[in-house]
Amino acid sequence: MKSHIANLFSPAAIRALAVPGAILLCVVAGAKWNWIAQFPDDWTLPVAAGINVILNSIIPNILPLTSTVSHALGTMLGSLVATLQFLPWPAVVLAVMLIGFKAGGLRLLALCLCALSYIVLAGFWRQSMATLSLVILAVPISVLGGFLLGLGAFLLPWVRRPIELLFDFMQTFPAFAYLIPLLLLFGFGPIAGLVATAIYAIPPMARCMLSGLTQVPRELVEVGDMTGCTPLQRLLWVELPSAKPMMMIGINQTTMAALSMVITASIIGGFDDIGWAVLSGLRQADLGKSLLSGLVIVLISIITDRITAGIFAGRRAQNGWHMRWGTAPVLLAAAAILGMGALSRWAAPDLVQGLNETRGVIDLSVVNSAVLGFVGRYGHILDALKSGILYYLVLPLRLGLSGAVLPTTWGFAMTPPVTAFYAAVALLLAIRQWAKGNPGGAAGTLSLAILLFIGLVGFPWPAAILLVMWCALRVSGPKFAFFAGASLGFALLSGLWIPFVKSLYLVGVSVALCALVGGLLGMLAAHNSWLSAGLRPINDALQTMPQFVFLIPALMFFKVGEFAGLIAISLYAIVPAIRYTEAGLRAVPATILETARQLGCTPAQSNLLVQVPLARPALLLGLNQTVMAAITMLPIAATVGTAELGQQIYISLGKADAGLGITAGIVFCLTAINLDRMLRAAAERCATPDQDK
Amino acid sequence: MRRVRSIYLAAGLSVTALLSWPCAAALSAPLGDSSEPIKIALNEWTGQNITARVAGQLLEKLGYRVQYVTAGSFPQWIGMQDGSLDMTPELWTNNLGDIYPKLLAEKKVEPVGDLGLNARDGWAYTDATLAICPGLPDWKALLEPSCAAALATAETLPNGRLVDYPADWGTASANEIEDFKLPLTAVPAGSEGALVAELQSAIAAEKPLLLRFWAPHWLLAQAKLNWVEMPPCDPNDGARCVLPSPVIKVVRAGFGDKWPAAYSFMKQYQLSAEDQQVMMMEIDQNHREIGSVVSRWVADNAAKWNPWIEDAKK
Repeated sequence: MKSHIANLFSPAAIRALAVPGAILLCVVAGAKWNWIAQFPDDWTLPVAAGINVILNSIIPNILPLTSTVSHALGTMLGSLVATLQFLPWPAVVLAVMLIGFKAGGLRLLALCLCALSYIVLAGFWRQSMATLSLVILAVPISVLGGFLLGLGAFLLPWVRRPIELLFDFMQTFPAFAYLIPLLLLFGFGPIAGLVATAIYAIPPMARCMLSGLTQVPRELVEVGDMTGCTPLQRLLWVELPSAKPMMMIGINQTTMAALSMVITASIIGGFDDIGWAVLSGLRQADLGKSLLSGLVIVLISIITDRITAGIFAGRRAQNGWHMRWGTAPVLLAAAAILGMGALSRWAAPDLVQGLNETRGVIDLSVVNSAVLGFVGRYGHILDALKSGILYYLVLPLRLGLSGAVLPTTWGFAMTPPVTAFYAAVALLLAIRQWAKGNPGGAAGTLSLAILLFIGLVGFPWPAAILLVMWCALRVSGPKFAFFAGASLGFALLSGLWIPFVKSLYLVGVSVALCALVGGLLGMLAAHNSWLSAGLRPINDALQTMPQFVFLIPALMFFKVGEFAGLIAISLYAIVPAIRYTEAGLRAVPATILETARQLGCTPAQSNLLVQVPLARPALLLGLNQTVMAAITMLPIAATVGTAELGQQIYISLGKADAGLGITAGIVFCLTAINLDRMLRAAAERCATPDQDK
Repeated sequence: MRRVRSIYLAAGLSVTALLSWPCAAALSAPLGDSSEPIKIALNEWTGQNITARVAGQLLEKLGYRVQYVTAGSFPQWIGMQDGSLDMTPELWTNNLGDIYPKLLAEKKVEPVGDLGLNARDGWAYTDATLAICPGLPDWKALLEPSCAAALATAETLPNGRLVDYPADWGTASANEIEDFKLPLTAVPAGSEGALVAELQSAIAAEKPLLLRFWAPHWLLAQAKLNWVEMPPCDPNDGARCVLPSPVIKVVRAGFGDKWPAAYSFMKQYQLSAEDQQVMMMEIDQNHREIGSVVSRWVADNAAKWNPWIEDAKK
């Protein structure tokens, strides 16, 4: 008992409580000295201007090289597009069906037929071929780049960490932010988009490559060594072959990444592709048109995914008589069909030309009238939902309880007695945690209470840095704490603190919404296979649909402003929340559930007290993925009128201010990387809970 | 049917060619390099596409080859700089960004006059707004607290909400609100799609809405919008006065030397809002193909464009 009391006042416990103390001090001091509450403008450094100076000195020097590359790629792209658009679609459809049959049997054949018929019927054949050409050209570049980077990281372990950081940057850096320098380097047109796509699609390949190589079983490597392999022979004959399955997954993932990026890159124009159609639909707020063209990319993604996965899985994974055909004859037959198609084009040029330029017969404009009809009839419900979330979730986070609690909405004001009551509750909770021997938790509770009271936007910056560094220190260690502190310092010094904080809170609120709704759906799906089967295609579509498409319903339902952005972000970010919750809960061993049932748990009890705690690592990883998805969606949501980093990037695109875009992009990446590390570290700690006790 | 029409057109053209035979020898010189196509930017909105295609078809009549290139309204300036684009025929000067003025100062692009679209621009409101602000269209109606309160939302309380142009377009609404002490808050929309969606859903729900908008716009062919009589402000002070945006035509530097006749034509080329709106209606509402809609307009309006072509040939 005595030692318990002594523990309560141990130096570590006192140190933990110093954090909320210091935050409180900052808040009080901020009222007196403005430089604490608000980072002074004249302390910022001209980061954006500096980047522009650097770019202006680099670009002219490498321009000859890049314009040569651009010219070469342009010629290749031009001839590829011409070829694909030259081939009559029935021949292409047949060839793809044949390959699909080889890869996945009758089911995949039927899927290919449906998907390709849709593309023809929707009238997007030409545009699909253009998009496909871009992907066909970008994927080999990414695969080669990823292969070399992954191999390099494997052979030189000391570059592994910096290279992994580079991958993080490549995957989270918003494409909008580097489009301007790419345009300056590669000229106006699809090549800049092609390069952006290729860059974005490198990391999945490189990551799979690296993990495939590092996971080669030790015994195999030893066998190689014993038979007298030189390191090169070992690499070529042992390590690379056994990393092949992972490499195949890498190629598949890279293709998927490229397909999702071509749409964003088409904002440049210069190319009549699917992305342009999606964007025109967005510009006209025409949901039907956007959906019509967005579905094309969804379907192309699905069949590419199934075909590559099927072919790479090879003979082991499947059996069936279609597997008896060799790959080479099938490809030859497909080539022969295409050749015959080409010949037919010469034989009857007018007929085939007409075929390829068929206008669409599918018309989704009924979707528009449905949405507008819904808004007309249920507008008041939507408005009530919006005001509810704004008043009770968004505004408190932004302005703090001190600013958001008003008699008109909450029914009371934050008068001194109410504030005192709030402080007392927070203190009581903290004391309880402290008495339980958890001074860190107590400090966290107090800090959170102060944060909620002040709001994110008004939170003094020294306090924010302190709080973040302390959290980082607790979940991971001093190295990460330093990195997190430096990241926040960069946001401050570059003058982007306020947009950064606004992004953070937009991400925070949408993640909270996703966790709530997605978690609930995932939980229900874990217990109901019907719901689970029904959710799967919806999730697939939400994830592969061009993100721009979500903006239109969000706008129609909830009007211009942060809230529409919030909904658009949540529509995209909810998928990992659903998926990981379901997978995590389903992975809980049935024996444990049976034990819980025998102990007399009600289903609800077994759910909350047994399944959820056991699935915690999976849930945290899901949270991590949700945060990442929300962050990637931010710059796209800027087009509905949010005021955060994404908007800065968008403005920089309009001003052609590469420096501002890149600075905002870096802040953006740092935010994503820090949150990712923090949540991953937390997930690891959960997976091994007894480590720190 | 289309083929028949094009035969007529071809016949008509050859007749004009025959009539102008005496000066045919001189004709080839002002045409310039007619083997290389003139690359015309196609931006994201239907109105611009109409302007571009009318110009393109008329340039073809002059004897040029044209090529249409889709281009984002900001990235297009990179294209105008590096030669992937030769002209952008409909530039709204309220939405310029920073790169166009820079190119203009460096003389890399050249404006070739107003398009004659006589655009309208200002604050506008839906019919349902009239019920709560009965004094409209007079701007003083917006001073009424009851009007502002009815337009307010959670984000703008206690002020009324004015949906403004996106922040990157540059707009004077916020300054004008300040100057005239209007109880309003300007909320930037983020994109044109956002403005359109906002307006469509307000009309569908019969909700009051005050927003900044412009005409000609395809949406106005299907949605009714009323214009506020704006407070009097100094038209020379663009930063504090909401003004209709001039719509101009811009070509690449050196366009005139390369294609003298096309240059002369582009200087004269005009397209009125009424003409554009009729074609917009055909394309967006009746889902007709843009090429044939434009061809028909060109065939029906020879009186309008003949003088430009004749003049350009001189």
